[in-house]
Amino acid sequence: MNFALANRKQKRIISVFLYAFALVWLFPFYTAIRNSLKVNGFRNYVDLFTSDLNGISLMGTFRNSALIAIGSTFLLLSIGALAAFAFSKLRFFAKEAIYVSVLLCLAVPGVVILIPFYYILKNLDLYNTLWAVIFSEAVLTLPFAVLMLRNYYDNLPPELMESASIDGASKLQAFIHIYLPLSIPALINLGVLSIMWSFQDFLLPLMFLTDKSMLTATVAVNTLKGLFGFSPADLGKFNAALVVLGMPGVVIFTFARKFITSGITSGAVKD
Amino acid sequence: MKISGREHVVGFMFIAPLLILFAVFLVYGFYFIVHASFYDQTLSFRDATFVGWDNYATALSDNRFLRSIVNNLAYSAAAILISLSVGFLLSVVLNMGIRGSKLLGSLFFIPSFMPLALIAMVFSIMLEFRFGTLNQLLHGIGLDFLAQRWLSDPTLAYMSVISISVFLIGLPMMYYNADMTTINTGILEAAVIDGAGLGRMLWNVMFPLLKNAHKTIILSTLLGSFREFERVFLLTQGGPAGTTENSSVYIYSFARSAGANIGYVCAASVIVLLIALGISVIQLIAYRPRTGKGGGHEFRSRKPQAEENH
Repeated sequence: MNFALANRKQKRIISVFLYAFALVWLFPFYTAIRNSLKVNGFRNYVDLFTSDLNGISLMGTFRNSALIAIGSTFLLLSIGALAAFAFSKLRFFAKEAIYVSVLLCLAVPGVVILIPFYYILKNLDLYNTLWAVIFSEAVLTLPFAVLMLRNYYDNLPPELMESASIDGASKLQAFIHIYLPLSIPALINLGVLSIMWSFQDFLLPLMFLTDKSMLTATVAVNTLKGLFGFSPADLGKFNAALVVLGMPGVVIFTFARKFITSGITSGAVKD
Repeated sequence: MKISGREHVVGFMFIAPLLILFAVFLVYGFYFIVHASFYDQTLSFRDATFVGWDNYATALSDNRFLRSIVNNLAYSAAAILISLSVGFLLSVVLNMGIRGSKLLGSLFFIPSFMPLALIAMVFSIMLEFRFGTLNQLLHGIGLDFLAQRWLSDPTLAYMSVISISVFLIGLPMMYYNADMTTINTGILEAAVIDGAGLGRMLWNVMFPLLKNAHKTIILSTLLGSFREFERVFLLTQGGPAGTTENSSVYIYSFARSAGANIGYVCAASVIVLLIALGISVIQLIAYRPRTGKGGGHEFRSRKPQAEENH
């Protein structure tokens, strides 16, 4: 928006308030970084990576988080794209009713479904494996994926479908060769969002991964707190770990902010 | 045109992976909690005794449970208020071309990209009574009387939980920024020519123009409050004495306590699920896709008169 809403004097007053607000805003960052340098200074960071923390390897938690994010994102994109394409371009029994039922599941709070998921995962022998979290995250995010991708497919011309069928292509071929390539921008947005959400997820890995070697980075925030004592040296190390655990967020922000923004806002506020 | 049998089959083949996953996890999951909610049983799922509606009666007469739901609504109300004021103002102000806007914008966005668990943990360290950075700072600059028990005094604990909403302002700002790109600058120019000052421009022109963003923020915040867990869990653990608990922390703490009656947890879960589904239905109605040719690709608002009804 390139437009002069305020005159120069007003702008100056506003910027004073803005910078004051930013200063308060920085306080939590300041807290974490200052505490992380307590007692041993930068050594706290070096120690995190060179020695293991009571049997927890920080790099291991990042690896677990990455594997879960990749797995659930792959499930989400493949299942979501197939279903969204069908809801948008195919005709079949009770299509809209099924679609609305799927959308309603947008509301399911994770904690409500924890006990049945625990029971189901135990019976599928997936409890305490990364698959437990991969599947549960995919299930809880799929309604959003279907909503977002269907909006996108609805926007692609149906004429492509007709010309494909005149050329003798099956529905699957039309999907794979025409619509899937066209929906890559939406899939990228959704994929980046899903990776971020998976990395932020706390409740599901907390519940379904109890083995120390399975910890994810976000759950490690909580586990490490219990492992470190209250001595200043421990507090320094713990805060250094927190700063390190915040880094993926900074990386996602730096490289993928555009995809996240258009993913979250797509279809929601446009008029 | 009639749909052929083959078309039905092809269609269902496409949605089969989705249906199978949902049948295994969600349909069975819903059946599971509804069924279990009528029994008294432990997590071993043995020796269940049928108790009828008892678990529901217990839940609905438990003040702690009811308060946790009221807390959900209170936290969302606070978050909505913060989004519609602070978030709205920041989004507009950062688009005015003030020097450093880009950097400040990034600063306000970054926390939304981090795990909420991490933010809650940093806040809990910052607000801790004896060693917390905030109280130490207050002591350091001689404002000792301002140093408070931020997490153990009931009122202040509420404020502490709510303060995280300010830190997560990036998400509503995304909606405002997206909505602002759709504003026709001609309207703003006309308002300025008509002599509208900055205040009137903000509240009488900009604010109503962004009504779609307001709507999205209100509904997604409400729905999100029933999903949210780690903010309260890691900041106050629901304390002091359960006052700051939200529905997720309430259910979780019951589910994890030793020998808990899982039937009761499931009854509470069913109640929370029904409320969340109710909000979801409102959301679906509010964003009903426009039907007809080319429609449905975006969630559009319906006719203006229908919108005024809620």
